[in-house]
Amino acid sequence: MLRFLQDRVNKATKEFDGKAAEQKVADAGKVESDKLSGKQARVRDLMRKLAVKMGKENDATEGGK
Amino acid sequence: MSMSLLRALLGGAVIAALGFAQGEAPAPVAAQEPVVVKNPFQPFDRARFEVAAKQLGANEAQLQTFATQIAELGLTRAADNLLRAAVPAFDAAVKRHEASDPAAALELTKVLAAATDPLLQAHVRYHLARVFIDSDDPERAIQILNEYLKDNINRSPLDAEAAFFYAQSLAEVPRVDDAIPRFRAFLQWFPEASERFRSAAHQQVRELERQRESKLHHLADGMKKTTRDLKKQKTDKPVQLDQEKYIEELDELIEMYEEMEKKSGGPPNGNGPSSNPATQSALPDGDGSVGDLQKRPTLADRWGDMKDRDREKIEAAVQKGLPPQYQKMLEEYYKKLGKAQGK
Repeated sequence: MLRFLQDRVNKATKEFDGKAAEQKVADAGKVESDKLSGKQARVRDLMRKLAVKMGKENDATEGGK
Repeated sequence: MSMSLLRALLGGAVIAALGFAQGEAPAPVAAQEPVVVKNPFQPFDRARFEVAAKQLGANEAQLQTFATQIAELGLTRAADNLLRAAVPAFDAAVKRHEASDPAAALELTKVLAAATDPLLQAHVRYHLARVFIDSDDPERAIQILNEYLKDNINRSPLDAEAAFFYAQSLAEVPRVDDAIPRFRAFLQWFPEASERFRSAAHQQVRELERQRESKLHHLADGMKKTTRDLKKQKTDKPVQLDQEKYIEELDELIEMYEEMEKKSGGPPNGNGPSSNPATQSALPDGDGSVGDLQKRPTLADRWGDMKDRDREKIEAAVQKGLPPQYQKMLEEYYKKLGKAQGK
């Protein structure tokens, strides 16, 4: 899932980067880059949650030994 | 969290598409039931061991010494001493290792190539693996311990240490995902192993799991930076390369969890009898049960200190009379030893 989400962000980033400079600096361009950043943030948050969950499970396993 | 669920969270594409587009939670993924791997190790059979030792040439006096040494030195070391007493060529090769002589690997391999008895093979392979570990060559140690686990288990009390050092060698490569289940198997299957080895195995599992966990945090950290870059409308090549790196790392993680899933379940595969625990290497300080573990110049140091003609003599001997797989193994070993010393 995370891989797919990241891949989507990557493609959107490339697409945005390929647009003409004037399109990027316009208001619409700013909205689009904010959206991109938001998508990347969601992948990051999911990754962080997974890392924390794995860490807790490892600690619990050790504590149970 | 089951391994299959974790793998799905990292990689499941179709479910992810919905989640990303609509903010939905991913659909549940059916977890696979872990398959319990049968312990291939049997309790040590002393009578069988003594019969095999006699066949290798051990006499009554040596067997008496063995019986006495069990109480003094422990079963593992006493057994190894008996084999050394019964097979002088093996003893001579081990002494070379104890003296940090770079020819130890060659001499042990010669004994191994000539050995047909599985008990002697077990002890030679154990010592050869220790030579490789001492030479910072865990790949070669894994190779030789795979042979031990495939052909020589249930003959010698060395099994537990072979299992520990195998896991340790994997950890040193580092093959974290392979090492963790093998340390766990060692702990499960050898409850009577020395406390030093058991403590070291527990510690290794904790450290390796942290390493694995930190990979996920590391990825999240990188993504945080990219989030900021995108916010600033930075979408150029460096940012795209960072993003591609995340995909590569996710692929690696997915592959790692797939491997772990396979190994916690299916039949042994890959290197060696995969569900067997294996060996040990970075011993905790103190008595290893077998061999002299005192600090001494490394084998690489000694290799570097040797005269050119002595090194050439060993290299020439590697080319003579050894089975091709061992010839190749030693060629690579000495090449690596030379690189460590710039020779």
